[in-house]
Amino acid sequence: MEHIDLNNLFPTKTSNFGTNEVFDVAVVGAGVVGTAIFKEFCEQGAKTVLIERANDILEGASKGNSAILHTGYDAPPDTLEHECIQRGYTEYMKIKDEMNLPFLNTKALVVAWNDEQLEKLDAILKKGLGNGVKELETLSHKQVLKREPNLCLDAKGAVLVHGESLIDPWSAPLAYLKKGIACGGKTAFSHEVKAGHYDGKYWELETSQKPIKAKVVINAAGLYGDIVDAIKGTKDFKIIPRKGQFVIFDETAYNLINSIILPVPTKRTKGVVITKTAFGNILVGPTAEDQESRTDSQTLRETLEDLKTKAFYMLPALRNHRVTATFAGLRPASDETYDRVSINEDKNWITAGGIRSTGLTASLGLAKHIFELHNTKYEKNPKADEKITVPNISEFAPRDNQKEGYGKIICHCECVTEREIKNACHGESGAGNIGGLKRRTRAMMGRCQGFNCEAAITKICEDEIKNHG
Amino acid sequence: MDNIQIAIIGAGPAGISAALELKKLGYSDLIIFEREDEAGGTPRHCGHLGFGMFEFKRVLSGPNYAKKLSKLASQNGINIQLKSTLTKIEDGVLTFSTPNGIKQYKPTCTLLALGARETPRSDRLVSGTRSPDIITTGALQRFTYLQEIKPFDKAVVIGSEIVSFSALMSAKHAGIKIAAIIEEKSEIDSFCVIKYLVKYLLNIPVITNAKLKNINGEDKKVSSVTIFKDGKEEDIACDGVIFTGKFIPESSIMQKSFKDFNLNNYSLNVTQNFQTNSESFFVAGNALRGALAAFRCYFEGKKVAKNIHDYIRFKHQSQIIEISADENISWYYPSLLDLKSPIKKHLTTLRLKNRAKGVIKILLNGRVVSIKRVHALPFLSINIPWKDIELKVDDKIRLEFVKD
Ligand SMILES: Cc1cc2nc3c(=O)[nH]c(=O)nc-3n(C[C@H](O)[C@H](O)[C@H](O)COP(=O)(O)OP(=O)(O)OC[C@H]3O[C@@H](n4cnc5c(N)ncnc54)[C@H](O)[C@@H]3O)c2cc1C
Ligand SMILES: Cc1cc2nc3c(=O)[nH]c(=O)nc-3n(C[C@H](O)[C@H](O)[C@H](O)COP(=O)(O)OP(=O)(O)OC[C@H]3O[C@@H](n4cnc5c(N)ncnc54)[C@H](O)[C@@H]3O)c2cc1C
Repeated sequence: MEHIDLNNLFPTKTSNFGTNEVFDVAVVGAGVVGTAIFKEFCEQGAKTVLIERANDILEGASKGNSAILHTGYDAPPDTLEHECIQRGYTEYMKIKDEMNLPFLNTKALVVAWNDEQLEKLDAILKKGLGNGVKELETLSHKQVLKREPNLCLDAKGAVLVHGESLIDPWSAPLAYLKKGIACGGKTAFSHEVKAGHYDGKYWELETSQKPIKAKVVINAAGLYGDIVDAIKGTKDFKIIPRKGQFVIFDETAYNLINSIILPVPTKRTKGVVITKTAFGNILVGPTAEDQESRTDSQTLRETLEDLKTKAFYMLPALRNHRVTATFAGLRPASDETYDRVSINEDKNWITAGGIRSTGLTASLGLAKHIFELHNTKYEKNPKADEKITVPNISEFAPRDNQKEGYGKIICHCECVTEREIKNACHGESGAGNIGGLKRRTRAMMGRCQGFNCEAAITKICEDEIKNHG
Repeated sequence: MDNIQIAIIGAGPAGISAALELKKLGYSDLIIFEREDEAGGTPRHCGHLGFGMFEFKRVLSGPNYAKKLSKLASQNGINIQLKSTLTKIEDGVLTFSTPNGIKQYKPTCTLLALGARETPRSDRLVSGTRSPDIITTGALQRFTYLQEIKPFDKAVVIGSEIVSFSALMSAKHAGIKIAAIIEEKSEIDSFCVIKYLVKYLLNIPVITNAKLKNINGEDKKVSSVTIFKDGKEEDIACDGVIFTGKFIPESSIMQKSFKDFNLNNYSLNVTQNFQTNSESFFVAGNALRGALAAFRCYFEGKKVAKNIHDYIRFKHQSQIIEISADENISWYYPSLLDLKSPIKKHLTTLRLKNRAKGVIKILLNGRVVSIKRVHALPFLSINIPWKDIELKVDDKIRLEFVKD
């Protein structure tokens, strides 16, 4: 019987440009930040290459997050983070329809569960208003329960943040990647940047495949941001990965809440978020655990149990629902400040590192900010206005199984079609591994976790790859 | 939207046998809807022997059993709509996703025979790395029997319910070595004799009283598992992990669509007629309470068909009382009693979560009306007949297990 290594189902990607090609800009790292920068620079007309060590996008910090589009109501005031969150939010709203990206304005409740937290609500409101987030209001115990009748009666009050919303954390960066490629941007997956040499004019980056030459390097290496940054010669910061574990509940629980339930941050307690997801589940998490490892995203039973206990307290009816998935994401936190965004003009090196916990929202704004830092005129790419879309996999809009001719449904729990799986296997922006396939389609992410479909999907992918190279 | 008389969802043993029986009873306005592109249900991928002994008096493999069911259905002119996934139930209307678009039906009567799935790693909250090589028996069978793919070389099997021996056979078929069977409980979750067969005939260690602590590995690859036994940790090298059993009904759509959901059974409450509180809906087979052998689902299908026949003929007004159960009981049937049902002789069938000696009590409004001493095994059903007692509306019935 044929042995198939499920971790090497997809062929290693190679780049489609020659060694003597010279780029204006090399972006290192294809997380949400790197892909957003790639899109921005390609649209602006810079000759750009996106270099990524993994065989797909989103293999680092951007793989697992809460998928909330933040307003910045609680951002540290007058910081770059604050600015980029709000700019990122605005940008997302501009492009979402055109790119077929989902968005659901669920609003968020910052809920106080005791008197100590209740006292903090005023300050939260004030900070939010100060941060330019206008649509905020304080709700009484009664008003909270009217909005959220399933919440535990202990909810004392809340701040309602109107703008907080849900998006699809994987399709957005995929759309950015596709847009960059459509504008002529080049990609180099499975190229790990190992070293670099600057001759005063050009950077020559040594990678695990071939060397890549560019005028400017933008370091968006996320969890490896400090290591990549050292290539420029100075060590300015250190990444301290911060793990966040999650528990995802079955779609049966989806209607238990209307809004995102956020904790009041206090010194003593680290609360958890309960939110719907774009994929029709309930998400509980994340934790915040500092660790050495940049790769270890293992989950721990005790922590998951604890998350469940906390969530069951806040939302008692959640007890009656099953867990669909558990996972952990790693935030690229750095020592001292939140983000490490800077330019070294002598070396033509831009750092976009330490984008810890709001990068999904901030990425498009950050990309604009970095282009401004770069401060170079290009001729705008004629394809910048071309419409690029990604398939909708969220529950907020019709999915492929609602359109005829899809072949058959392969993943029953998530209603993923044969057509979706096949399409996700192809092209420069196609899946580079099973994780990438899951993120593009939702396949195997449902309650049965592959009981019904993992084998069939493996076979389809294998055949697609064989038949289409 | 089409009106039909009977819709059966799921073309497994339960759904097909119900359809065959209904056909015999004269119903022809009947459709079976099946989400896969082949009828037969779960046995389609159980490539080993162990089917058909009671219903067909022959020993068949799962796939041959599935083919036999499928053939019987077509010989009897039963309409099976394949690739039709039930996605919504609302106000008696069934919505299906099909490759030809969304289809809606409003049946007079619906049988949900959706089968069950095994509990995956996630719902067990097991610590460690994530990997595509962490699967269930069902997935292993589909890899090895349906797709002829060997996903890994050496695996650890978690759990020792009868289905875990299915995992052993599927592994053997694919040339996968089994490093060990790990069981949390002090005894295996099936007949003890199997333990010795596995140990001495197949040479596979069966480690009981052992907790799975962690799945180790990096980069989405499994390298070993850590187990905790007798106060010590031990690593077992493997490149795959197979989670077996802990079957859960494929009932999300029921939980989403109906209020009356039973958390012991993880399915809808049903009467002694397999009828739900939403009267035109019936449930049968593994969809009712997790795993039974295929032949039991087959016979249950026949039984439910007769009840559907009665329902359509008499449409008697039902009068329902609920039966609740404590947390020692993994599932029980019936969970409702219809006082107006023609079935008057009450019989409760249940299983316990753990091996235990004790008594099962049936309480009527807090008073014991029936008691049965049991030496329970979690994989065997216990039948408890009731004494003749008069029941009336508003009575409350509860099942309790008291350990010695
Ligand atoms: C638990 C959790 C919850 C979160 N919730 C939210 C939320 O609700 N809303 C929100 O806006 N944000 C949220 N975030 C934050 C957001 O996910 C991060 O800010 C963002 O993903 C950071 O992206 P990045 O592109 O900087 O890093 P990464 O995603 O790590 O990308 C860096 C990439 O660089 C590659 N790379 C590294 N080294 C090299 C090299 N030498 N050569 C080539 N490539 C290399 C890596 O493989 C990786 O793909 C959350 C984060 C976590 C962990
Ligand atoms: C690994 C394994 C090994 C087994 N080995 C044995 C054995 O050796 N001997 C034995 O007797 N039994 C065995 N069984 C048990 C046996 O397979 C089941 O008891 C039997 O198949 C249950 O029949 P069913 O009709 O209730 O459900 P299933 O056979 O599971 O059929 C349910 C059908 O409903 C369909 N369905 C579900 N949801 C929808 C929807 N929304 N829309 C449309 N269709 C839907 C499914 O695709 C499926 O075809 C085994 C089970 C497993 C998992």
